Amino acid sequence: MKPFTYVRPADARAAITAAGAGSASFLAGGTTLVDLMRLEVMTPSAVVDVSSLPLAAIERAGDGLRIGAMARNTAVATHPIVVERYPLLAQALLAGASQQVRNMATVGGNLLQRTRCPYFRDLAVACNKRAPGSGCSALDGFTRSHAILGTSASCIATHPSDMCVALAALDAVVHTRGAGRERAIPFGEFHTLPGDHPEVENVLEPGELVTHIELPASPFAAHTHYVKVRDRAAFAFALAAAGVGLDVADGKIRAARIALGGVATRPWRATEAEQALVGQAPGRASFERAAAAAIVDPKPRRDNAFKIVLAKRTIVRALELAWGAA
Amino acid sequence: MTRPLIGTGIDRVDGRKKVTGGATYAAEVQVANVTHAVIVGSTIGRGKIKAIDITAAQAAPGVLAVITHDNAPKFPGVSHKAEANDRAVQGLQDDIVLYHDQPIAVVVADTLERAQHAATLVTAEYDAAAAVGDVEADLGSAYIVETPRGPAEIHRGDLAAGMAAAKTRVDVTYRTPVETHNPMEPHATIAVWQGDDHLTLYDSTQAIFTVRRRLSTMLGLSPENVRVINHYCGGGFGCKGAPWSHVLLAAIAARASGRAVKLAITRPQMQSLVGHRPKTLQKLELGVDGAGRLTAIRHDCVSETSRFDVFVESCTAVTRMLYACPNVSTVQRLVRLDVPTPTFTRAPGESTGTFALESALDELAYAAGLDPLELRRKNHADHDPETGKPWSSKSLLACYQRAADAIGWSKRPAQIKTLREGRWQIGYGVATTTRPSRQLPATARARMMPDGRAVVQAGTQDIGTGTYTVMTQVAGDALALPIGDIRFELGDTALPEAPPSVGSFTAASTGPAVHNACMALRAKLIELATRDPASPLRGLAADAIDAEDGALVARADRNRRDPYAAIVTRSKQPEISVELHTEAHKDRDNYSVGGFGAVFAKVRVDEDLGEVRVDRLVGAFAAGRILNPKTARSQLLGGMVWGIGQALHEHSVRDTRTARMVTRDLADYHVPVHADVPDLDILLVPEEDPHVNEIGVKGLGELSTPGIAAAIANAIYHATGVRIRDLPITPDKLVQG
Amino acid sequence: MSSVETPIAVGMVAPSFVLHDDAQRPLSSSETRGRPWVLAFARGWTPGHDAGAIRAQLRGLGAILFVVSDAGVWSFRPDDDIELTAGPSRRLRREAAELAARWGVPSGEDGVFVVDRHGVVQLAHTPSGDLSATLASALAAAGREVIGLPPRPGITRRDWAVMSLVAGFGLVLLHGCRTPGSDRPAAPAPVAVKAGSDVDVVLRINGQDRRLRIDPRTSLLDALREHLALTGARKGCDHGQCGACTVLRDGHAVNACLTLAVAAEGAEITTIEGLARGEQLHPVQSQFIAHDAFQCGYCTSGQILAAVGLLREGRAKTDDEVRQQMSGNICRCGAYPNIVAAIQAARKEV
Repeated sequence: MKPFTYVRPADARAAITAAGAGSASFLAGGTTLVDLMRLEVMTPSAVVDVSSLPLAAIERAGDGLRIGAMARNTAVATHPIVVERYPLLAQALLAGASQQVRNMATVGGNLLQRTRCPYFRDLAVACNKRAPGSGCSALDGFTRSHAILGTSASCIATHPSDMCVALAALDAVVHTRGAGRERAIPFGEFHTLPGDHPEVENVLEPGELVTHIELPASPFAAHTHYVKVRDRAAFAFALAAAGVGLDVADGKIRAARIALGGVATRPWRATEAEQALVGQAPGRASFERAAAAAIVDPKPRRDNAFKIVLAKRTIVRALELAWGAA
Repeated sequence: MTRPLIGTGIDRVDGRKKVTGGATYAAEVQVANVTHAVIVGSTIGRGKIKAIDITAAQAAPGVLAVITHDNAPKFPGVSHKAEANDRAVQGLQDDIVLYHDQPIAVVVADTLERAQHAATLVTAEYDAAAAVGDVEADLGSAYIVETPRGPAEIHRGDLAAGMAAAKTRVDVTYRTPVETHNPMEPHATIAVWQGDDHLTLYDSTQAIFTVRRRLSTMLGLSPENVRVINHYCGGGFGCKGAPWSHVLLAAIAARASGRAVKLAITRPQMQSLVGHRPKTLQKLELGVDGAGRLTAIRHDCVSETSRFDVFVESCTAVTRMLYACPNVSTVQRLVRLDVPTPTFTRAPGESTGTFALESALDELAYAAGLDPLELRRKNHADHDPETGKPWSSKSLLACYQRAADAIGWSKRPAQIKTLREGRWQIGYGVATTTRPSRQLPATARARMMPDGRAVVQAGTQDIGTGTYTVMTQVAGDALALPIGDIRFELGDTALPEAPPSVGSFTAASTGPAVHNACMALRAKLIELATRDPASPLRGLAADAIDAEDGALVARADRNRRDPYAAIVTRSKQPEISVELHTEAHKDRDNYSVGGFGAVFAKVRVDEDLGEVRVDRLVGAFAAGRILNPKTARSQLLGGMVWGIGQALHEHSVRDTRTARMVTRDLADYHVPVHADVPDLDILLVPEEDPHVNEIGVKGLGELSTPGIAAAIANAIYHATGVRIRDLPITPDKLVQG
Repeated sequence: MSSVETPIAVGMVAPSFVLHDDAQRPLSSSETRGRPWVLAFARGWTPGHDAGAIRAQLRGLGAILFVVSDAGVWSFRPDDDIELTAGPSRRLRREAAELAARWGVPSGEDGVFVVDRHGVVQLAHTPSGDLSATLASALAAAGREVIGLPPRPGITRRDWAVMSLVAGFGLVLLHGCRTPGSDRPAAPAPVAVKAGSDVDVVLRINGQDRRLRIDPRTSLLDALREHLALTGARKGCDHGQCGACTVLRDGHAVNACLTLAVAAEGAEITTIEGLARGEQLHPVQSQFIAHDAFQCGYCTSGQILAAVGLLREGRAKTDDEVRQQMSGNICRCGAYPNIVAAIQAARKEV
């Protein structure tokens, strides 16, 4: 670990000021930052510890829910309102990591979770995300875990978060505070595609602090499901994951939400697949059509072509479980 | 009479220490003013170091020494390798790079944080050559080599005639990947020099005496001047069976820095520096006649080794002896790669070889329309087909029966793809398992103290296998003492020499030594008592005396008793002690000796998503006398969990372009977690064996791993009709069918 | 509420209350008709805590429980599997604050009150009271029933027995949910340490304050192992991938390797060395021995602490749920079936 300046600010304002200078990182649960600092994949000059700031409340906000950035994954996943109204979020959170990590990891931190690409984590090899311009060792390397959607010639690293899949499906809004302004960022605009700059993963500016997220009222609670396919029965990253919701009235789908994990470079909302479901009767036939529409122009590499098939089947399974037909 | 301890499932005698944090592993020994060493690894797979820059590291705060091949003390003995199972190590003795992550520098600093960061400041320039990291990339170079478990090739009978006589044949190729042991405790060594010629190593090892022998040779020290201590070892599974580079580096770093050095390797380093199970490519050709008898077996195995050392994964050993088949041909080949040397990994040879053999038998059974279990029964080897010798004991047929009954084998549909629950396809599979039983010479010391309690010592190890506990039981029965009156000590080369804790032979080697030493102590106490006019037993013949409840008693009149405490006290000696060396049992030459078992799997496979869940594993095992059914069951459970990992999860991946390990941690190298393991059924089939050793023990630490992967793969085939011949069986393979 | 308020005391009729959530759904003392109830002001409580166990207890006692915490207000009923909840809206916060004030519980403090089926307060515990003394009196009351002493006039012996049990339960609940409780500052003091400098930290470990001067890079795990000789927390991977380093932080299992020691100030850390009470092992420890739930022992501390956290949180019940929740603790010796058996056996004792 590279030496760093440690700051535990008195409040959010002080945190933002402290993080504005140099290459500072906010420390929340530490499950990504400490991990990557120990590998020296991340080498912030300053660590601004926001974990004890009073940003952990989970509370109603109008018809929706407001979740503080420092709320721990376990607290969110077991919160009665989340369980009752946003079960997709609870399922996704509980499908991720381990009990220990869920007890530590925060909502704000999870938004900024870094990829598990093994080349990103190995200082001895080239990686554009870790060392911009150094090249991508993954492209022609071992790509079983890599993305097939949203990739670029610079990076094919998969976004690893389960929570973000649910938040993408639930139309979350990310609220931030930076020097002089507050922002409300729609979830679909929060994470960026790698393009030529995979080192940039979101629209946050230096020193900008995620304070909370808001979930709008969801009509999908009755028909929603998160399915995660992985190499072992727990404590593994997704080979493919799908978070879906259906709003069904009079035997027809009024609205649908489909988001994917494990297959894309950022949390992936499959809007075309959602549209394909609107007006349809729920069932395997319409679900399969939607799944086909979800995987548009995939770019598999040597070891991950299976994800094209697997992602589609995962979507179908999630929709079936959401509808109660599997 | 004292209730016998052997055969009783007593709680582990070290249990309390292990549940309170009180068991002290190598890196946890409190050594004053200890410093921390961190290894810097190479970033090429083959070549030479042109230049190495340590200036930044040396200037970093707290750094006490930065050691490279430029400045390391040189020890001619480092390159000396006395035994085939010794592992050649890299100790900064030259500029040659043989594999990725090879140690090229060691940084010593006052704190761990400072050493870790300073290690990242060391930079090297290389003359790099292309490195090859996959057996299949260089199959043309494969050469035939003798294995530690027998000849490189055997040809029994007439293979061609056997194949010609077959009604049904299969000819298939299986692959098993590189697997990495990954015990929970990473290897660690604390090295403390006393002057220039005395060295103490607190080392996480399965073999304290091997470490002593190797380190004294490498460093040019007299073996008596090297002391190796390891009271608790956090798992080994073969990768702690011989010292690797880091042990030497800890000693060198301590010498160079003039301080005690603690060197705990990192989990990423665990993937490259301490051995692995090599990848294998196994071609199986089997023939069976119309009566279900095997007519021919051919088994060719190619596995990898390093450029600089030899390790053979003896996959074919099991094929030579498991079934009664007149025509058998097996060959072992090796391919040299730019990789670190592989080594023994739990059930070396058997787990990989059995996957191939037992999968191929399953394929043969389905092809011939035979019940897979019936095929195995029909070809049961009543004596060892390889040596022609009788088995010292063998209960395989009973194992088949008990395990088959337990899982309901006969009730399953013989047809594949017939069972399902919703989206889950369900299937059953069977396989045979075996492991040879060996006994190595061992020495033990038994000491009776004036308080009537015994201290029994042998320089063995407890790597989680229950050695502390079962040796206490063996000693307790020999001396007729309750558990609480015996202290068994191990893990220190200051104790009498016992063999490494490898090959499942600790109980069968050190166990008889402990038994014999305690019996000799008992005889000595009898002699003292019968000659002592003050003893109630004076004048009695030795064979007229029993031991019971901490005392000697006259068999004819059990009220005539002389407590051990009284005998020792009257002797005016501080203790009565016997040290005794025990060789392998003489009967062993006349028999083939091994444990056998039958394993059955019930699995479910998600037909769309390819996820596999093991619903049930049933294993019936026979391995001679069971010293402690509780710890024995635990060992067998663990072996089965290893089988689940081998079948479904474990896969160390090297980058095909560079031979550098890609799966560098426990997030990428998957071992089974709680959720992957159902409740497992262990059936211990009673077996008395008078030929193996004085206590009738064969050893069973590795018996339950072989066969599991095949049973699971066979069950997956029964469920889905898809035959996966390439481990591990991950969802992608099943999705692609 | 009346403007002339007398402090709540044992023997008086409990004042009624109504709280509202955003949907104007009332949560009211009137739903207690004919049943004993407990009103707990428990700041640090979240619904993850023991909800299943609470319900089982309430069912046995026929009592209703209201919990007012920072996270909202909950009402647990014995005959209903779903607790009524109200998130902390502004209105609810105001109402909860008024309620606390009415019952004499200062803002941000904990208290517990037990009301019998006639609506009479039978036990009152406020921060000024001594928890163990109150508990002792509750238990003594229960004992009075057992030895046949006459209970107070107006209540039957059965009422008293139930009452006392409810009281004991309420107090235990309150005790159990004192996470970063009122006896410690809510957050550690602000600090700034320059790169390369050491930092003074106070870690509260196994109930003791331990002062250290350490490199800010030091993980909690290395602080324990290298600086405090508490080596029971093991280093298996140093990256949160194996669970060997698991300790309890404020009662929850966390990876000590991914926790910077300096960032653990203000938290209550429990390590394996702090689990037994003197010679008496924690039930999870003794069941691990009885079930041979370990072999090499290296993962064992982490398994045990994760299991203690699991049982305390109370969500995972079936074997499969336990396996899922324990999956962050790798055991390479493969003792998993024995570990699950040990946890399920210990569940009956904790």
